[in-house]
Amino acid sequence: MITQTLSNRLVFILSLLGLLVSGFLLYEYSINGPVYCPVGGGCDIVRSSPYSQFLGISIPILGVAFYVGMAILSVIHTHQLPTKLIRKLQLLGATSGVGFGVYLTYLEAFVIGAFCFWCILSFIISLALLLSIILAFKCTNEDGN
Amino acid sequence: MKTETKVLGIILIITLVLLFGGIFLLSKQGLSGTNEETVYQIDYSKGQKIGSDSAKVKLVEFSDLECPACAAAEPFVKKVKSDYPNKVQLIYRHFPLPQHTHSRQVAIFAEAAAKQGKFWEMHDKLFETQSQWTILPEKEAAAFFLNLAKELSLDQDKLNQDLEDPVVKSRVDEDEAESRRLGVNATPTFFLNGRKLNLQSFSELNTVVANELKK
Repeated sequence: MITQTLSNRLVFILSLLGLLVSGFLLYEYSINGPVYCPVGGGCDIVRSSPYSQFLGISIPILGVAFYVGMAILSVIHTHQLPTKLIRKLQLLGATSGVGFGVYLTYLEAFVIGAFCFWCILSFIISLALLLSIILAFKCTNEDGN
Repeated sequence: MKTETKVLGIILIITLVLLFGGIFLLSKQGLSGTNEETVYQIDYSKGQKIGSDSAKVKLVEFSDLECPACAAAEPFVKKVKSDYPNKVQLIYRHFPLPQHTHSRQVAIFAEAAAKQGKFWEMHDKLFETQSQWTILPEKEAAAFFLNLAKELSLDQDKLNQDLEDPVVKSRVDEDEAESRRLGVNATPTFFLNGRKLNLQSFSELNTVVANELKK
């Protein structure tokens, strides 16, 4: 278990990291030429697949929106507001993010047949984000905040 | 307002400003010189071609056989070829990237196969097997390529002879020189009737070709 304060700071830092990764991918998707892929060469295959968009929205845009949302929630959490509600929203957001990440990773592994390093990194960040919220969730209830 | 709220809020705002400002500036920089209205003078006599010289649309691709993005673009290029066999001429030009170990070697190999009329067969085979040979050391890669040549029933003696032919090598050099002159700095780069394409996704290729045909 970790304290709420530590958890919230972790959520904030991880959200910023995720934001940088998604922002970088957003830039790479917006230009012509190959995507910089430090491990493997699957980034371009994933980008050119029909799954690089969800309901017509580019996946990196969804990533940026997700991490901005999570960062905003953690900033609000530091304020004197109904913390319990914010924690629940954070948990809901992180669970949705991880759920979507599982779906995208499934597509990469079994449908597209290639892995994008940045997508996997973002998925790992979202998992860490969810974990840091879950680890402090019991603490939240005990505090009664 | 708590100090932590202020600090985190400021950090978030600064991050967002830097991130979006950076993306905006870099994207703008990446687009500079890619004015779609600019018609570049391309030497259409050079390169490997599919389609008639009198085709209304000429699609020139500067590509690297070892580049994963080029392999990823292949299905979309093939779709253009199959959708408009008589209306579009596809011209393949080499732009071997220096960061790829076998790029130049493989470009010369494809040009040597071209001397036996099998450039496109070799081109397809090399893209299909790219993930297998790109990781091989030079000697093993050379053996792998010779094996591909066998699969395509190429005359081995003639192939070995052509691999040493300065004319074959000069084709790759000429393509490279042309790509530099045109300001190509990434692969694949497409020129549609002389206009450099700035595709968001390779799936747009078919649409831009269809639009060009409507003109």
